[in-house]
Amino acid sequence: MSERRIGVFICHCGGNISDYVDVAAVRDAIKDEPDVVVAETTIFACADATQTDMVQAIKEQNLDGLVVASCSPKLHTFTFRGVARRAGMNPYTYTQVNIREQNSWAHTDDPAGATRKAIRLVKAGIAKTRLSTPLHPLEVETTPATLVIGGGVAGLRAAIGLADIGLGVYLIERGSEIGGWVAKFGNMYPQGRKGSKLVDELMAEVEKRSTIKVFTNAELTAKSGSFGNYKVDIHIGGPKSMGISLNVGSIVVATGFDTYEPEVGEYGYGIDGVLTLPKFKALVDSSKGSLTYHGRPVKTIAYIYCVGSRQPEGNAYCSRYCCAATVHASLEVQNLDPKVHQYHLYRDMRTYGKYELMYTETRERGSVFMKYLEDTPPSVSRNAAGQLVVTTADSLTGGQEVSIPADLVVLVTGMVPRKNDTLINALKLPVGSDGFFNEIHPKLRPVETVVDGVMIAGACQGPKNSSESVASGLAAVTQSAAMLKKGVAELDPMVAQVNAEACTWCGLCEETCPYAAVAKTEVDGREVATVDAAVCKGCGGCAPVCPQDAIDLRGYTDQQIRAMIENLAEVPAL
Amino acid sequence: MDYDVLVVGAGIAGMESAIKLGDMGKKVLLVEKEGSVGGRVILLSKVFPTLDCASCITTPRMATSIHHDNITAMTYTDIKAIHRGSDGTFKATVHQKARYVDEAACTGCQLCETACTVAVPDQFNYDLIARRAAYITFPQAVPKKAVIEREGTSPCTDTCPAGIKAHGYVSLIRNGKYEEAFQLVLDATPLVGTLGRACYAPCEGECTRGDLEGTLPIRRLKRFIADRHYAEQDGPGVVAAEPNGKAVAIVGSGPAGLTAAWQLARLGYRVRIFEADKEPGGFLRYALPTYRLPKEVVDQDISNVTALGVEIATNSPVQDPDALKLDGYDAVLIATGTPLSSSMGVPGEQLRGVLGGLDFLRDVRHDLVPDLKGKRVVIVGGGNVAMDAARTARRLGAAETLVAYRRGREEMPAHKAEVDDAEAEGVQFRFLVAPVEVVGDAQGKVTGVKCQRMELGQPDASGRRRPQPVAGSDFVIPCDIVVAAIGMSPDTASFARLLTLGEGRRIKVDPKTLQTEVPYLFAAGDVVLGPSDITTAVGQGRRAAHMMDRWLQGLEMSGFFALDDRLGVIDKAKVMARQKSFNHRDPVTLTLGHDKAPADFHEIEPALTEEEALRGAGSCLDCGVCSECGQCVAACPPNAIDLNMHEKTFDVEIGTVVLATGFKLFDATLKEDYGFGRFPNVITATQMDRQLAPTRPFNTVLRPSDGRVPDRIAYVSCVGSRDKTVGNPLCSKICCMYTAKQNQLIMGALPLADVSVHYMDVRAAGKRYEEFYEQAKAMGANYIKGRVAKITELENGNLVLRYEDIDNGGQITEAEYDLVVLAVGVQPSREAEKLFPDESLTLDDFFFVAEADEDLSSGETNLPGVYVAGTASGAKDIVDSILHAGSAVAQAAAHLETVNAKKVPV
Repeated sequence: MSERRIGVFICHCGGNISDYVDVAAVRDAIKDEPDVVVAETTIFACADATQTDMVQAIKEQNLDGLVVASCSPKLHTFTFRGVARRAGMNPYTYTQVNIREQNSWAHTDDPAGATRKAIRLVKAGIAKTRLSTPLHPLEVETTPATLVIGGGVAGLRAAIGLADIGLGVYLIERGSEIGGWVAKFGNMYPQGRKGSKLVDELMAEVEKRSTIKVFTNAELTAKSGSFGNYKVDIHIGGPKSMGISLNVGSIVVATGFDTYEPEVGEYGYGIDGVLTLPKFKALVDSSKGSLTYHGRPVKTIAYIYCVGSRQPEGNAYCSRYCCAATVHASLEVQNLDPKVHQYHLYRDMRTYGKYELMYTETRERGSVFMKYLEDTPPSVSRNAAGQLVVTTADSLTGGQEVSIPADLVVLVTGMVPRKNDTLINALKLPVGSDGFFNEIHPKLRPVETVVDGVMIAGACQGPKNSSESVASGLAAVTQSAAMLKKGVAELDPMVAQVNAEACTWCGLCEETCPYAAVAKTEVDGREVATVDAAVCKGCGGCAPVCPQDAIDLRGYTDQQIRAMIENLAEVPAL
Repeated sequence: MDYDVLVVGAGIAGMESAIKLGDMGKKVLLVEKEGSVGGRVILLSKVFPTLDCASCITTPRMATSIHHDNITAMTYTDIKAIHRGSDGTFKATVHQKARYVDEAACTGCQLCETACTVAVPDQFNYDLIARRAAYITFPQAVPKKAVIEREGTSPCTDTCPAGIKAHGYVSLIRNGKYEEAFQLVLDATPLVGTLGRACYAPCEGECTRGDLEGTLPIRRLKRFIADRHYAEQDGPGVVAAEPNGKAVAIVGSGPAGLTAAWQLARLGYRVRIFEADKEPGGFLRYALPTYRLPKEVVDQDISNVTALGVEIATNSPVQDPDALKLDGYDAVLIATGTPLSSSMGVPGEQLRGVLGGLDFLRDVRHDLVPDLKGKRVVIVGGGNVAMDAARTARRLGAAETLVAYRRGREEMPAHKAEVDDAEAEGVQFRFLVAPVEVVGDAQGKVTGVKCQRMELGQPDASGRRRPQPVAGSDFVIPCDIVVAAIGMSPDTASFARLLTLGEGRRIKVDPKTLQTEVPYLFAAGDVVLGPSDITTAVGQGRRAAHMMDRWLQGLEMSGFFALDDRLGVIDKAKVMARQKSFNHRDPVTLTLGHDKAPADFHEIEPALTEEEALRGAGSCLDCGVCSECGQCVAACPPNAIDLNMHEKTFDVEIGTVVLATGFKLFDATLKEDYGFGRFPNVITATQMDRQLAPTRPFNTVLRPSDGRVPDRIAYVSCVGSRDKTVGNPLCSKICCMYTAKQNQLIMGALPLADVSVHYMDVRAAGKRYEEFYEQAKAMGANYIKGRVAKITELENGNLVLRYEDIDNGGQITEAEYDLVVLAVGVQPSREAEKLFPDESLTLDDFFFVAEADEDLSSGETNLPGVYVAGTASGAKDIVDSILHAGSAVAQAAAHLETVNAKKVPV
């Protein structure tokens, strides 16, 4: 295509780029490129005022292509597509060139080199834009229903929230009982209600809502379709094993966590009287009057914190909930029997926010806290009399070695990700290095995943306590509603397209496609490939495997990529 | 309903709430009290644990929150009250503060900022630097529209009867903009030099600095700019508008007449002043002695008026305004003042040697000087004219000058400085005496005044105690001359044919419009008010000109903004409360060395030196914040600035409320042991974050005392958190993590610097937080366990931290650093609870908004339909705020379903 009118904006990013890249030199180098009619630099391209300037430039200069050289397209593709849309330009003729993450930040030691690279990147972006064509998103009607996976507190509360907003809900629980971990708990913080009571309350609310369908012994086995219109296959076990298919617009994954199970010998684990935190919690919850273990009165308890968490060789992460949970349990013990001696061997007390009050209270009521250092952890053994002894170097008293004879040793164990390969495979859920599911952006988009319409809530995303899990469940409700309440979804038009004349149907593309978007069809009596635009993710995997070069990716055509490479290969003088 | 949802506060939680609700198709009103959306997140450098640039991740949300089809965003706006309706909806009273900038016209070019003469601490840089009163909130502001911060009219400006923008010209002077300052005064009156000398300066009486070391020399600053202008420039530097074809006659060339002439001439009127005397100026020339107001100054001021083409016909008394109308003048202003001296009404007044106060002063200026050498002069009266007469008599060589006044010193109407000066020049006073007769000799010449003693009784209408004669107390003060300075009155007899005269033969007018019962005839100044002062007369002249212009244009005779419709005066207590302490500023004062026997009429008061002027003006506290100097108005290319803009208040009906009012930072000065506010190199972590941001004020990290790049930096954790001594036992949750973030950024910015963190517990509880903390340590951050007990400052500005070194045996240890950063915590903002006058929003024990059911419905408050999002309910980091907002929004949306269900007619 010739005679394009392209605007190019090169961003300083406040200094993130301009501290290393000579932004004005980049502008000067590209301003005379063919079809470039606007070439400007800007302090913050993303600032609203700059966006307004861009809209004005597009309108006044009658632009039909826009290039912004700034940060990663992950951050601002939608921002500048929005600018194009507001200016009446087709948003898909916009190209973002990354001269920050892939340039200025990577070459802080070589400003001249970074500037040359920026020029090549921007020229490549301009070349791609010259060959761009207007595209239009596919609009599909969405299904006003959500599948919630997991019947713990996060899933239950999400189901209620979804129903209250007017969406249909299917809740599936792998186990035979609803309620997850919390159903087993006695008194909980922060409000002192029993866990079992919380679940009862939630279930009562679920039962009031006819739009929530609950299935136990149920597992998701397959998912097809795309955001807004997923078809999910559910296998329901139990006496009447069966499979069902459901149509939903979105999926909330709230599959929870497992607790860390120490190795035998880890802090004396395996010795009678050495308990994990959940076991100890169950013991306290079931105690009436005073605390006993195997019929013997418990007079002294030693807690060892960070077991299975903050371990350089094991789980490097902090499990977040355990400090407050342990402090809460110690308060429960004090309620049962104020005379029990409790020793807390910790690394850092992480009773953040208002939970600090519980930490203060248990100290005031007699709990003793001793800080151990990472390289001198406590040890647990039995003495000659058969009693448990915990030995630690207390850094609060100058590293003095202290031996504590204890009736119970509580290993404050953290959370670990739950094994769930079927689900991970079916949903293509991204899993982080810590084994928990990964959100799309840990700061701003904590319940969304890279799979459109699949949300994660509760402790499957990372360690959380009960009320935090519930809050994230509700946040997933909000995200579902934000996607589905409009009734229609816009799907990205940057998908694969088959040139039916060139295609000879070999089937390689169908084999390659991870989304099952390619199928065989007949055109004019010939067998050719066809792509379901609603299913295709635009990954481009099919294009290079086609022996006939019959597949092109809209927005990234072979011609465009070739033009980019040619420009990248040309070394500019500076 | 006007909107489905009201979201209060456009920080990260408020924006998230609004965008998500908007995406659901709800109509959202998003209200933000600052000039931009973005809250605190946009001010950050980067965010933990991703080290994403805060601007980069926030600006898209900011833009979305104002461009979203379903969101109406109002910045610089707050909510006054939210009332619950009977049908489940709410009525919210929205208060759009006056921005003084037309948002549609403003392009965000920032020229107003450059032009602004007022600097205030920049709250968006946590007071590290100053910003202007005219400002764009911050570089990434959305919307990028300026705000002119006006908290009120400054007391000096507010009190001026002439509506002169005292704060404005003071502010211009301290910026070295002397001519601009002169022009600002000239905008009100041509009499700049005159007022710089002869005004009684009510502004100085109101000056807030007066409550500290002493007032600014506001009047003398005006003289300073006038002297400078007249020395350097020819003419006023003002061009009149194109002639509009209309003519105005002004009778009288005193301060009211000259000011009106000036204003009307500028508007394009042909103006002619008719003056009865032989030279123009009225009181300025004839009543004020030249030692107070030299005649050259009067001439200079009048030359401003004539430079615009105003003709002054002297020796031209006007008896009949009708004739002027017939001569072609479209309107006539009578501004003839009070030229007549009142008589004492006692026997003997006809004797030779009895003079009226004004007549005496006028004769002196006409060189009809009576010979007073060796004479004894008695001045009867206690006003300013009496003082002027007495001091003039001294200069004419009177042997004795005695002021006889019927009340006490405290009750004298004369300005105190005048009385003091008179006394310093040898004038004597007799109080509580009243003349009963002037006695004379056979030749009809005065020999004395017979007086009676008085005593003070009950207060009269003026509030002063009424003097009552003491029976049988008559005595005679022997003298040669008696000057009766007991009052003045208008000379209006000739106007009685046309106009009804009021009390004291004053002309009756509508006090707002100064129009008489004859529409083309206006009157202003003392002829309307009776004896007042120059500045009041100037104000009258301005008003008359404005109203005559309106009348001549056929416009509605509504209020005159410059005098009647101004922003309310700022409360001085509020001004004083802005700062915890004030630097001492030596006041610019004046001590006149008075001559006991002054021999001539040269000007007594010296001019300010430039140094004094800058020092004096520099002491201004900027009470109203904006000084109304008008520089921004002149600088704005699209004319978007309108200082007459008004705030707007209106009601909207809404379905549900999300409170996202955020938090307040702990005020580190309360932790006295750490020296914040006293030791310049102790800063807060928010200040450090600004130093690390892309829009950082200094382009590097430096310490405030000497601007040096610090080598050894210490962080002190838990400042204002986990600390009962400051009333906050809670953990603030964010400080450990932003400390770890800043450590990493500092090590990037200053690779040679050592960073230590004095901590109690490192609370890296959150996804990838522990790993992030480990990363900070791996990069070299030195974590030292133990709370810091005390910080002391060394002479070189370095700081010594005293602490128990727990990791190394628990010794009491001291360590020296170049810069100390206090990791300040989170406090409740206390804004949300004020919004509900009819019901009580429950707060927790620490004054955060309480959540009704934290276990199952995070974000729900005790009030049905009202939700809380983000840090308004307690300390949260960004991701927790986002999740919390999501939780609140899910419930708000569910609540809307029930509201809408109710609203649908069955």
